Amino acid sequence: MTPGSAPSDDALLVLFANGDGQAAAELTARLGPRAFGTAFRVLGNRAEAEDVTQEAMVRLWRIAPDWEQGKAKVSTWLYRVVMNLCIDLKRRQRGGHVDLDAVPEPEDPARSAAETLQERARWDALQGALMQLPERQRQAVVLRHIEELSNPEIAGVMDISVEAVESLTARGKRALAKALAGRREELGYGNG
Amino acid sequence: MAMADTGKDMDLDGLFAQAREERLGLPESLQAAILADAAAVQAEWQAPEPEKPVRGGFWLQLRQAVGGWPALGGLAAASAAGLWIGFTGPEFLPDPLDLVTASAEVETVPYDNFDLAVLLAEDFE
Repeated sequence: MTPGSAPSDDALLVLFANGDGQAAAELTARLGPRAFGTAFRVLGNRAEAEDVTQEAMVRLWRIAPDWEQGKAKVSTWLYRVVMNLCIDLKRRQRGGHVDLDAVPEPEDPARSAAETLQERARWDALQGALMQLPERQRQAVVLRHIEELSNPEIAGVMDISVEAVESLTARGKRALAKALAGRREELGYGNG
Repeated sequence: MAMADTGKDMDLDGLFAQAREERLGLPESLQAAILADAAAVQAEWQAPEPEKPVRGGFWLQLRQAVGGWPALGGLAAASAAGLWIGFTGPEFLPDPLDLVTASAEVETVPYDNFDLAVLLAEDFE
């Protein structure tokens, strides 16, 4: 790695496969929060999001020696694993018992204390509305509007066409707007 | 896709923007667990492959200890010969004592050469 230029995720993965422990720390810092944030938004549960993130990262470590550079983006691959793990988790919950911890829970106290009540209300409102969406719509909206992935990238993550992504995000956004329509003033957006 | 189709979309865009700004950090315990997993995976790659245990039970181990099928064949043949001799007796084999005495006689014959015997007889005369 040359000074001043950050190595790509690909390069870090190769370094990791060659035994570089610092590469693991760098990849975790880059990709971990994105994986965790996405899982949390999609699942609505911190403990489950942590489990999914840890499992996804383990799969990343294990695939490192076989990773083909330039074939796919590491972040796209990781998003895909996260989404599949979320789907598997929800499928298991529907087939068996539902984890009592799977109820959306508040942020940790230290973070909440630093936020204003209105920011908190907005966060909860968005999360609550997201949880009302069908699973695939929720995934597409989170990837598009919070993770800011392009439609082709989302298509790769979700293994669907770009047109299907556009349809999912459009329908998801309409459903979110409808769910939040009556809360404009409450959330501090006024009537304008 | 138009980002501001309606006034309601503007609310959504604001919420999305706030969600992006407040992106969740990785909890410390989760970060530690991820890095521990990474170290464990790397350690697996560096560890030497464990020796494969000898499988197949007693007979396979015996065969390997003796030296494989050829050695085991020789051992079986010798064992069968010993067993046969044990049952039938050694009559069909030459008596080792006879062999010893026969060889002694040969060694004690002073003159087994005819020409030499004739010569010696002439000397006595």
